[in-house]
Amino acid sequence: MRHCLTILLVSIFFFIDKSICQTHFTDVTAPSGIKHVFKVYEGMFGGGACVIDFNKDGYEDVYITGGVNDDVLYKNNGNGTFTNVFEQSGMTVTKNFVTQGVTGADVNHDGFVDLFVTTITRRDKKEVIPRAINLFFLNNGNGTFRDATKEYGLDQLFSFSTSASFGDFNADGWPDLYVGNYFNEYKGKLSVINDNTVVEANQIAKGNLFLNENGKKFKDVYSDYGLDFRGFGWGGIFTDFDNDGDQDLFVNHDFGYKRTPDLLLENHYPRQDFTDVAKEKGMDLKINSMSTAVGDYNNDGLMDYYITNIWFNYFMVNQGPGKPFVNKVKELGMQFFSISWGANFADFDNDGDVDLFVANGDLNPNCVPMANYYFENLGGKFEDHARAIGLADYGIGRGSVVFDYDNDGDLDLLEVNQEPVVTDYPVPSVTKLFRNDSTSGHWIKISLNGIDAESHGIGSKIEVEAGGKKMIREIDGGASSIFSQSSVIAHFGLGNATKIDKITVYWTGGNKQIISNVSTNQLLTITEIPGKKSHFFIYLLIGLAAAAVAGFIYLKKRKTV
Amino acid sequence: MIQQKFWKKLFVVCITIAWTISSCKEENKRMPEDYEVASAWADMTNYITKNTPANTPTFASRCFGYIGLTMFESVVNDSAAVYQSVAGQLNGLGNLPVPEKGVAYNWALALNAGQAEILRNIYIQTSDKNKNKIDSLEQSFETVLKNKTPDGEVVKRSILYGKKIAQLIFEWSKTDGGHRGYLSNFDKKLVMPKRPGCWQPPLYAQSFSHYPLHPHWGNNRTFLAVDSAIDAPACIPFDTTPGSAYYNQFKQVYEKRKVLTQEEKEAAIWWSDDPDVTFTPPGHSYYLATIVIRKTKPGLVKCAETYARVGMAVADAFRNCWKWKYQFFTERANTYVTEHMDPEWQSFWPDPPFPAFPSGHAIQAAAAATVLTDLYGENFAFIDSAHVGRTRDDIRNADFKARHFNSFWQVAEETAMSRFYGGIHIPQDNERGLEKGKIIANNINRLHWKK
Repeated sequence: MRHCLTILLVSIFFFIDKSICQTHFTDVTAPSGIKHVFKVYEGMFGGGACVIDFNKDGYEDVYITGGVNDDVLYKNNGNGTFTNVFEQSGMTVTKNFVTQGVTGADVNHDGFVDLFVTTITRRDKKEVIPRAINLFFLNNGNGTFRDATKEYGLDQLFSFSTSASFGDFNADGWPDLYVGNYFNEYKGKLSVINDNTVVEANQIAKGNLFLNENGKKFKDVYSDYGLDFRGFGWGGIFTDFDNDGDQDLFVNHDFGYKRTPDLLLENHYPRQDFTDVAKEKGMDLKINSMSTAVGDYNNDGLMDYYITNIWFNYFMVNQGPGKPFVNKVKELGMQFFSISWGANFADFDNDGDVDLFVANGDLNPNCVPMANYYFENLGGKFEDHARAIGLADYGIGRGSVVFDYDNDGDLDLLEVNQEPVVTDYPVPSVTKLFRNDSTSGHWIKISLNGIDAESHGIGSKIEVEAGGKKMIREIDGGASSIFSQSSVIAHFGLGNATKIDKITVYWTGGNKQIISNVSTNQLLTITEIPGKKSHFFIYLLIGLAAAAVAGFIYLKKRKTV
Repeated sequence: MIQQKFWKKLFVVCITIAWTISSCKEENKRMPEDYEVASAWADMTNYITKNTPANTPTFASRCFGYIGLTMFESVVNDSAAVYQSVAGQLNGLGNLPVPEKGVAYNWALALNAGQAEILRNIYIQTSDKNKNKIDSLEQSFETVLKNKTPDGEVVKRSILYGKKIAQLIFEWSKTDGGHRGYLSNFDKKLVMPKRPGCWQPPLYAQSFSHYPLHPHWGNNRTFLAVDSAIDAPACIPFDTTPGSAYYNQFKQVYEKRKVLTQEEKEAAIWWSDDPDVTFTPPGHSYYLATIVIRKTKPGLVKCAETYARVGMAVADAFRNCWKWKYQFFTERANTYVTEHMDPEWQSFWPDPPFPAFPSGHAIQAAAAATVLTDLYGENFAFIDSAHVGRTRDDIRNADFKARHFNSFWQVAEETAMSRFYGGIHIPQDNERGLEKGKIIANNINRLHWKK
């Protein structure tokens, strides 16, 4: 009897050990050489990172905003350490600004990723009403960048910007840009500051929808595309929620219960407009909506959205065409209260379904420590294992990014933390790098090389079929975690599958590419096979011809009757 | 022949058009009743209150005080046999100039000029568009009222007098501590007390500020010196023991949330008077004065007295309330209930950004109700339709429906209770608020308004 009990206990321990501790994260912040904390200008705003292989050496680097501190550009040395090369990067003009978020794309299609940094005000002089231009840096291709803000027409918009995201809503291969603004913006500098301008300052703002004009200039087409919303904007994500092949836009608004709720802007490409379908799709969330993680948690081919909030987060599960989304946060076991900012879906344990990391942090200067969440996907249910696996950091979390910095096939995590305004914060609150030390599960990483599409495939979708599962990823264009952008290399955990049956790439612009029988545990680069650009016009001509014939027959029939 | 017919027709048409235009003009030029001039300015005051960004109930309450007082002082000599100026009885204003003896004034013109002047000055931060609205109301009344007073000298004298009164009162207002208070809504250097039961910045919030609103408002000058000397209300001491008096206060809020009726939800949203989208709670009181005035159509001076009393009552109520709020610095149910009863609990209405005790809604509503009762009697039936026509509150599943009342005190009690329904005030916040509001208003009532 006693013996049996021992066996039972041992097996339980073994079981627990196996089920909970498969994935383990190690805090490698210090050994990796990362020394960063985001310092707020005032209040809760800011703190993001952008994963970018700026020197194309195959090791992903990371740019992190500093707020009132200097930004950093950490070059990945390929040996587990990083070196801050910011001073030589050509981006030191950011020192004059209070930076917030950062996002990247190959704006001029030269193969190198360019960077867009959002700001709220200047650091080098005190603005009565905090506003400033955002900054755009072109990658020179030699490890440095140059300030192209003016060249791209972005130097006259004085805004209080939060998160920015790249997408290609007109599917022309030139990545476009959406910028979230929290307070109202000014076109040109405010020449007079009086009591009226001061009280008008903290009003809700329009977002900017910047159309990339042939890689040479950005043009704000917000109203041209039928948009006239104002809100306390935290940014938005480009995502194809309705699987119609074009990129829609989901916008996060703070104080949706008082002002403008979240927007789900359906793209009517090739028509040049968006319409807000949030209400009918149940996505007009009236909450303190911060940011959105995108992932297909149940591998049903439909993108689901986890929206961070104050108190309880929302997990809006896609029910397919014609049906509204359903909030399943409670049903799926994720009903915990906190103040959440960044969130990332990723298959951290390589078992063939996406798990979820959530960065939590108080509304600095309020400084109650709160741990992050790590929701392990148990199939139909999630469980928070943050403490068990070493991700329950108590810093004041904001943006978070996932990437495989050590190229070992599992996804590591970087979380930007804010410096507490109070002096008695009980734990260190600094930016953390967590190395994923999981050992099990096969995987594949896919890097896209866009020819017609953006050169890293931003906005494109990849579908992987393996081991009886069909998994899908959208290439991250930014703001998927607040102020931040994760790796553009798609990562899929494959569990026990040793072979991938099929990979399908849905490029923005409509090209579709299929590759079969791919081996696992490798980084695969897929280069786009350019399509015939005239497709659309051919279909249009065929359509017109058919209509003409039909009309002709109809008229003839009518005559004979 | 055909041509003749055409000209005849054209003639008729022209005459008709001309007659229509002239009759329209005639209509516009109808001499407004005194109460119409007064209440039109109260409407304008509430419009500016509502449509000026970054406005707050504190700043708004103070403005109602000065605007109402200006109205009274600009017309009080219309009825010099009965009424008298209260300027000398106030906290340091001193006597205001008296009209010239033996010459005529048009008092409605004086009111018109005075209201425009004080509004433009005290709401200097409002938009140019709003300032143009003030100007055009002033202009349109001036044009009509001039017809009644053919003597240009009388017109000039009346306008000058109204303006002078407004300017002197505005000068006085500059030293009360609340002048341009919208520039310092939140003190980011404020060190907040940290003791059990203290107010915490809300998570389900009405405002993005994590600092409390106007923490120094309690140091402002009151309209009446005596109002500043009123004793602080008694507050139940903090206690986490279930069954304790403090605990039970929050327990009531917690239990009420579960059984809110549709009518209670409607009351909760009706009285919320969110400063971002409405004329603020003291604006609601000023609006009630307008309802009474439109219903009873009193003479010019009584109209002005009504606004002056309501305005100063809500101003002193808010000032005292804010003094006590920061003296006690008590928490809201969203803090206590989630810590001690139910971590998932959330109030029906979001938290405002300032401490709870006592309730600002209750104290100002009681103050307004007490002065209105003194002026118009205890039983006064009316319909409040302030928010009729606003879009339904989808989040709370409630509509904005007109409300019927039989007395002013009924309004005060419902205003107070609405905060309890909203889950943002415990009973003692409301009870002490109502009590103190009454005391403040009685001091206002006791001023020597009449000779």
